[in-house]
Amino acid sequence: MAEATAHAHHGPSPQEQAENIKFGVWLYLASEVIIFSVFITIYAMFRAQNPDTVFHVREELGIALVSFNTFLLLTSSWAMVMGLRAIQAGKQRALMAWIGLTALLGTAFVGLQYVEYTELAHAGVAINNTNASVFAGFGMRFYTPTAFHGAHVIIGVIWALWVVWRAWKGRYSTENYVGVETFGLYWHFVDVVWILLFTLIYLV
Amino acid sequence: MTDEAHPHHHDAIILPGDRRIRLPGGIYTFVFVVLALLTLIEIFLAGMPEGPARVLVLFGIAIGKAALVVIYYMHLKDDRRIFAWTLLVPLIFATLGGFFLLLSPVPYST
Repeated sequence: MAEATAHAHHGPSPQEQAENIKFGVWLYLASEVIIFSVFITIYAMFRAQNPDTVFHVREELGIALVSFNTFLLLTSSWAMVMGLRAIQAGKQRALMAWIGLTALLGTAFVGLQYVEYTELAHAGVAINNTNASVFAGFGMRFYTPTAFHGAHVIIGVIWALWVVWRAWKGRYSTENYVGVETFGLYWHFVDVVWILLFTLIYLV
Repeated sequence: MTDEAHPHHHDAIILPGDRRIRLPGGIYTFVFVVLALLTLIEIFLAGMPEGPARVLVLFGIAIGKAALVVIYYMHLKDDRRIFAWTLLVPLIFATLGGFFLLLSPVPYST
C-alpha cells in the first residue's frame, strides 16, 4: 500500500515518460503504415494492370526532377538525425541549425512537388481523366498517395520549425530531448514512405 | 547522458574485418552516403529494359534503404523491442493483404 502511494506521488521517471511518449508515436506510425499501405496497394494494382498508361505518363514527365527531390528528402533525414546528435552532445545552436536545414529541405521538396504537379497538369494528367484519355485512371491513384505524403511533409516542416523555436527557448538539453526524438521518428517515417513511393511510382 | 549511452557520438565506423574509418557524423553520415549511392543505382536501373528481375532488384534496394532508415535513423537497432513489433505487425498484415489483392484473378477495371 505504502509502495503504491509512493508510486502515485512520484509517477514515472523522466526516462519512463520519454519511452512512453516514443511508444505513443510508434503506435501513431503503425496507423500510418495501414493508411499508406492501402494507397500503395491500390497504385500497385493499377500499375500491374495498366502498364501502357504508366508508360505514357513517364514519357511526359521523366525522373530527373523527382530524383533530385528524393535526394533532398534523404538529405533532410540526415540533417534531422545530425540535429539529434547535436542536442545529445548539448549543442543547442547546432540543433537549431540542423533542424532548420531539415525544414528548409522539406519546404524545397514540397515546392518541387508543386512544380511536378504543374507539369503533369499541363500534360493532361488530372484526377478525373475520362476513359477516353491515355491517362485514364492514373491521376487519382497518383495524386492521392503523393499529395497525402506531401501533406505529411508540410506538417513535418511546421513541426520542425516548432522544434527550432523550442530549442531557441532552451527547452532541450542533453538530459531532455524526447521532443527532438519524436519529431525525428515522424520525419524519418515520412522519408521511408517516400523511398517506397519513389521506387513504386517512378522507377518500377 | 554519457557517450556510452549514445554510441553514435563517436565518429568512428567499424567495417567488416574490424577496420575503422572516421567520418564526421559517424554512422549517420555513413548511412546517408549508402542511401545516396543506392538511390543512384536505382535511377540507373530504372533506365534498363523492363523485366521481372529489374522489378525485384529495384524493390529489394528500396526495402534495404527503408530498413537502413528505420534501423539507424529511427534507432530500432538500439531501442526497445516493442517499438519494432509495433511497426512490424501492421506492416506484415498490410503486405499480406496487398499481395492477396495483387494476386487476385478478378480483373481490375479503371
